Amino acid sequence: MFFHIVLERNMQLNPRFFGRNLRENLVSKLMKDVEGTCSGRHGFVVAITGIESVGNGLVRNGTAFVTFPLKYQCVVFRPFKGQILEAVVTLVNKAMSISFMYLYDFFFWLHLIPDDTEFQAGDMLNYTTSDGSVKIQKECEVRLKIIGTRVDATEIFCVGTIKDDFLGVINDPAAA
Amino acid sequence: MSHHHSESDDDDYSYDDDPELEDEEEEEEEEEPRSSRKKRGRSNPDPVGLRGKKRKPSGFIEHGEADLGAEDVGRHRHFHEPASFRSSRVGAEEYLDFMQEKYSNPRAEYEDDGDYEDGEPTHVDQQALLPSVRDPKLWMVKCAIGREREVAVCLMQKAVDRGSDFKIRSVIALDHLQNFIYIEADMEAHVKEAIKGMRNIFANHKILLVPIKEMADVLSVKSKTVELARDTWVRMKLGIYKGDLAQVVDVDDVRRRVTVKLIPRIDLQLLADKQEGREIVKKKAFVPPPRFMNVDEARELHIRVERRRDRMTGDYFENIGNMLFKDGFLYKKVSTKSISTLNVTPTFDELERFKKANENGEIDFVDMSTLFANRKKGHFMKGDEVIVIKGDLKNMKGWVEKVDEENVLIRSDMKGLNNPLAVNERELCKYFEPGNHVKVVSGTHKGSTGMVVKVEQHVLIVLTDTTKQHIRVFADHVVKSAEVTNGVTKMGEYELHDLVLLSNLSFGVIIKLDSEAIQVLKGVPERPEVAIVKHGEIKYKIDKRMNVKDRYKNFITVKDVVRVTEGPSKGKQGPVMHIYKGVLFLHDRHNVEHAGYVCVKCSSCVLSGGSYSGADRIVDSFSRLGNSKPPVPPSPRRFQRADSGYNTGAGGRHWSGRGGRGQDLLVGAYVKVRMGPFKGYRGRVVEVKEKTVRLEHEAKIVTGKLDLRYTHTWFAASTPSFSNMGSQTPIHPSRTPLHPCMTPMRDSGATPIHSGMRTPMRDRAWNPYTPMSPPRDSWEDGNPGSWGTNLLYPPESPYSRAYEAATPGSEWASSTLGRSYSDAGTPRDANNVPSPYQPMTPSSASYLPSTPGGQPMTPGTDLDVKSPDIGGDAETWLMPGILVNVHKAGEDSNAGVIRDVFPDGSCVVALGDRGEGETVIAIQREVRLVCPRKNERVKIVGGKHRGSLAKLIGLDGSDGIVRLDDTLDVKILNLDLLAKLPHA
Repeated sequence: MFFHIVLERNMQLNPRFFGRNLRENLVSKLMKDVEGTCSGRHGFVVAITGIESVGNGLVRNGTAFVTFPLKYQCVVFRPFKGQILEAVVTLVNKAMSISFMYLYDFFFWLHLIPDDTEFQAGDMLNYTTSDGSVKIQKECEVRLKIIGTRVDATEIFCVGTIKDDFLGVINDPAAA
Repeated sequence: MSHHHSESDDDDYSYDDDPELEDEEEEEEEEEPRSSRKKRGRSNPDPVGLRGKKRKPSGFIEHGEADLGAEDVGRHRHFHEPASFRSSRVGAEEYLDFMQEKYSNPRAEYEDDGDYEDGEPTHVDQQALLPSVRDPKLWMVKCAIGREREVAVCLMQKAVDRGSDFKIRSVIALDHLQNFIYIEADMEAHVKEAIKGMRNIFANHKILLVPIKEMADVLSVKSKTVELARDTWVRMKLGIYKGDLAQVVDVDDVRRRVTVKLIPRIDLQLLADKQEGREIVKKKAFVPPPRFMNVDEARELHIRVERRRDRMTGDYFENIGNMLFKDGFLYKKVSTKSISTLNVTPTFDELERFKKANENGEIDFVDMSTLFANRKKGHFMKGDEVIVIKGDLKNMKGWVEKVDEENVLIRSDMKGLNNPLAVNERELCKYFEPGNHVKVVSGTHKGSTGMVVKVEQHVLIVLTDTTKQHIRVFADHVVKSAEVTNGVTKMGEYELHDLVLLSNLSFGVIIKLDSEAIQVLKGVPERPEVAIVKHGEIKYKIDKRMNVKDRYKNFITVKDVVRVTEGPSKGKQGPVMHIYKGVLFLHDRHNVEHAGYVCVKCSSCVLSGGSYSGADRIVDSFSRLGNSKPPVPPSPRRFQRADSGYNTGAGGRHWSGRGGRGQDLLVGAYVKVRMGPFKGYRGRVVEVKEKTVRLEHEAKIVTGKLDLRYTHTWFAASTPSFSNMGSQTPIHPSRTPLHPCMTPMRDSGATPIHSGMRTPMRDRAWNPYTPMSPPRDSWEDGNPGSWGTNLLYPPESPYSRAYEAATPGSEWASSTLGRSYSDAGTPRDANNVPSPYQPMTPSSASYLPSTPGGQPMTPGTDLDVKSPDIGGDAETWLMPGILVNVHKAGEDSNAGVIRDVFPDGSCVVALGDRGEGETVIAIQREVRLVCPRKNERVKIVGGKHRGSLAKLIGLDGSDGIVRLDDTLDVKILNLDLLAKLPHA
């Protein structure tokens, strides 16, 4: 699920960047530092949409760096158990798991594919149902349900299933 | 000797399996009455603490007493038997005296007498009864193997014969201790006296004194009161079935025998031969594999199979010889001694085999409940989710409310079930749902954590956190946990992912450690080969830093990212984790097998980029010294240096983000050693280990002693002992950025230039070109999962690219620098795009994106740093007409001839050695000079002779001696400045 939330962060800035463009520098550094990261609490930071406030800088003892407290709005993505997602398959391998790229390198392990689906080795690794009607391979789009998440401080790890009603391949550009 | 007696004895010693011992037993008993009569005279002041446990000696005396007392007391072995003694002929007084003597331990008097009256000595009393210095000692005497009992009996006989001058107190022979007997005596001399002349005692052998502390242990017997119940899983201890799993079918407590169900290991052919009386060739050490008995098969071999009904159970069994079979299983009666019941945890395979026979899967769940017999106390905890597996409430789910001894109160959310229900522990099984995060607490996978992805009744399929493998575990063996562990990551000195040398001289990476074995991915590039080894089979950990060359002779060091271009692992890529004997171990995080490790030959890999560890240069220089011509064109070397320097800065951020290795920021910094043997040395940090810093000394480069260039310097604390010299220090000629090689060393005569340029501690974030709305690449910055991919596309030569623009200002204006990179097919490079001004201004202070073009060439603080030669050097080395290697990302490199050079640094290259092929457009970083050989025609691409044609007449280290065409002057120029010309 995507959320638009306000987060805070203390940014340290080198004094050589003080000047007219201080704010721009701060923001660009913030973007570099934050976007694409994953925090266990909030999920993946997708994009920074705005700066709420830039606090007063505090010179740190010992170094010339200055710490600015920043409040910023951002869009975060956090997967939840039970959530239905649509994703693109980016990797298929033998261990009965398929990983999905959703946003950026975000793994789903799919143990739960329909029982009659078998792994097909060869040039194009894929999973095919016994009647050959459905093929899961790289680049194809599937709808899946998250059945479990593990949240670390810096990583969110999900297990998804497509073994349920209305789940599975929804579009396969390769086949089309 | 009465039969009754012998049986009682028999029972007590439990020798029923061992006829040989039984004989001895009888022999011993025959002598007993005689001996004990005399023995009684010298009463044994043995403390009760020992007495209760002591078998043999107590046997002697007790029997003596008993026999004297009454024939019918044989079974009673305790001294607390006043009744029997009261009726004895000898008289109670005498016995009381004896008892008094035995128990009146001087120390016991201090204790509360009341305890004794109660008849149940407390723990403290027991402690007090332990032997002290004043008690007789135990001596260990060596005797012939298998003769322990005989010796004991002989000694007893001797005691009978010799009477009171025989000073030893007792003799103990333990069943489990071969080769030794214990003799209780006050002095060693008494023991020596006693064993003098004994046949089976090695008298000349040293007599060992048992320390007082261990005396009690000698005689303590481990209580093994494991109840054998039906359906319990056991393991066989003896015979060909040793170690096999068996299931208890029937227990005969009286005769101490159990009937177990096994998978038979029977060689039918052998059986058939035997039955027909044929000659049997004995093949030793051959154990038939376990296999279900097929009666039809047996009949085919003309083995007589009878079908009989068991009297007791009414079941039908197939009889072959003396063996009973049912459903393919062998039913075997064995002694309780020959099976082990403790800690039997059947593995999946074994259970599956057992399951196969009984076709109906219905039994399974109940069967599995037998596994729970070994449950520890406190197995269920409040709040656990459980499912009922037996009885009326089968399949009811609930939560544990309370745990009593045996019963567990569970609460169910079913309607109408408001009160907690008491269910027997054995009828419960833990319940998990897919998505639960669990930790395995017992069994072979103990310690690992993961997420439940599938539940098959009581068996869970868990996707482990670290190895991303599916493991099957019993629901009973896991607990819910939010913790993430790798399972065992360390075993002795070896850790997960270490490179180790095995005993057979093969090597590999540890990819899995579990409680028993270590899995090693062997260094065999042809195929993935996993060896399962024991701890002892590992010789040592290989901790070497080595460098190898990839397919294109680029130097690969640990942590470089490489791509596999051929072989079975083709297409995989990842950072190199270990290098050994030309074999690389990559870690491809998309690879699920072998914990992500891939083993490849270095020659089948291509370096995609990577971190700089400095070592490539030293080797590079070596190869040049040896006049071996590496096919690497000289210029890439230069740029490698440049870009990797840059990359280190960036990489440092990555590493520090991941592993807290913030010290990586030091890499590339100029430091001065403040103490130790290298005090005063200055150099550049090339590598930072925990407390060690590897420096590259400048001075040594000049003298060319390459082998000494790198010096390990140990510091007590890492940073305090050297001072960072900062970027202003004018001492660093090497800081002349970007084009060090443009100043030919011999020409200028002074400044050693080779150290490459470096703007240490640079932080990418300060790059003025940072796009304000970052493209995809910005993801990489913080997402630790993606650092690997970032390394795949490091800038090859960012600095030079900036310089090749004749008018750097124009580039500023175009602000599409990022896009020009994306045009090149590597969009992720965008955030690595350097400021074109950085090289000129190592402090890079004043250049903010909004004020670019202003003073691009005024480097502010560091004018002193720059050597004058460099100043006007803002030219590209690309020149028309020279031979180059074009290496586009993802493609093999091709030779080509530059046809044209554009002001923005890109050039038109005609492929082919003579430029006869198709033309492509390449940017400078994709182009590398081809290193000329001796006597080849070259073009000078830098320095004041730039553009001149010359002939390479000699090589001197990294310098080439050239004769200019127009002046015929002989010059010594850096090889990096010499570009090979295509053959005419």
